[in-house]
Amino acid sequence: MVKSSLVRQVLVVAALALVPGLGQAIYFRDKVSWQSPVPASEMVAVAQARAWGGNAIWVDARPDDEFARDHVPGALSLNEDRWNELLPQFLAAWSQEKKVVVYCSSQSCNASREVARRLRNEAQLKNVFVLEGGWEEWLRSNR
Amino acid sequence: MKTHIFAFTLSIMICVTARAELKWDQTSIELHPTAADKQAIGHFKYQNSGSKPVRFKSVRTSCGCTAAQSQKEEVPPGEKGEITATFNIGERTGTQVKTVTVETDDPEHATTVLTLKAVIPQQLEITPTFVFWGQGEAPKPKTIVVRAAKDFPVKHLRVTSSSPDFQAKVEETGSGQFKIDVQPQDTKRPIASTLTIQPEDSPKIFYATARITNAPAIQ
Repeated sequence: MVKSSLVRQVLVVAALALVPGLGQAIYFRDKVSWQSPVPASEMVAVAQARAWGGNAIWVDARPDDEFARDHVPGALSLNEDRWNELLPQFLAAWSQEKKVVVYCSSQSCNASREVARRLRNEAQLKNVFVLEGGWEEWLRSNR
Repeated sequence: MKTHIFAFTLSIMICVTARAELKWDQTSIELHPTAADKQAIGHFKYQNSGSKPVRFKSVRTSCGCTAAQSQKEEVPPGEKGEITATFNIGERTGTQVKTVTVETDDPEHATTVLTLKAVIPQQLEITPTFVFWGQGEAPKPKTIVVRAAKDFPVKHLRVTSSSPDFQAKVEETGSGQFKIDVQPQDTKRPIASTLTIQPEDSPKIFYATARITNAPAIQ
């Protein structure tokens, strides 16, 4: 008797908790994701990108000051603060047989996704990849 | 006994919902900067609707292009304030969504994510912005299509090549659309040109790149 009553109470409390939960789910149903969705096929892990060796061009999508502090050896800076100035420099180094690996600071940053999107859609380049985990993951893999 | 358990649980729930907290006017702001704007600024207003002060522990942004500032470190009960998020547009295009993560010492609402959405007007859509030929490839013209936005009527486009080794011819194809045929004189050596695309009566300049690559083109 006591047991069934307890179960009922638990269910009532759970149902009460469900109400605000449902409300929030409905209210935020159109909330925009702040990360551009990137298909898994357009992402690349650090180990894989490293294995490409000289067949990859590394692109640093972080702001100028972060690039100046440190970057993947040989990487080119291409960020959206100075897109028009930096893009021709990148295109001068690009070649059709090379893969392009774009990174920003971490897994949560969005700059690499945006730069990769513009290279694919606007410049219509193929073989453009976003580095999983970004610069942070690169550093971790070097430890 | 069972009544006590039920009442206790309910009172806990009520207490939790009644705790001190920052009430935000809105946690999501959409901005429509003009083509001339260099920044888009969002003001996220709040009020401490509780009975205890709330202290900001950190205010972080999702992008180096966005700066966020709180007016004060601690918000006494009843006081209002705002977090100002400044998004530097730079040379970004399209819809940009940036977030500001606010951490406070209110254990029930320790983290709030504020969303700043900026819809940057795109006057011209240029596809592609890059045309190239492999070395030794036939120097046939390649086409760049330019579409003007509906609220940005363009009658004429002026296109200039930074290098005389590339010719660019503009042709209006109607409905605010143009095609630019780019052609190299030859493809014997690796050269490049920046194409400057400027709508008549507009100070805004757009760019495309034409290049002869070192390697033969891969079909």
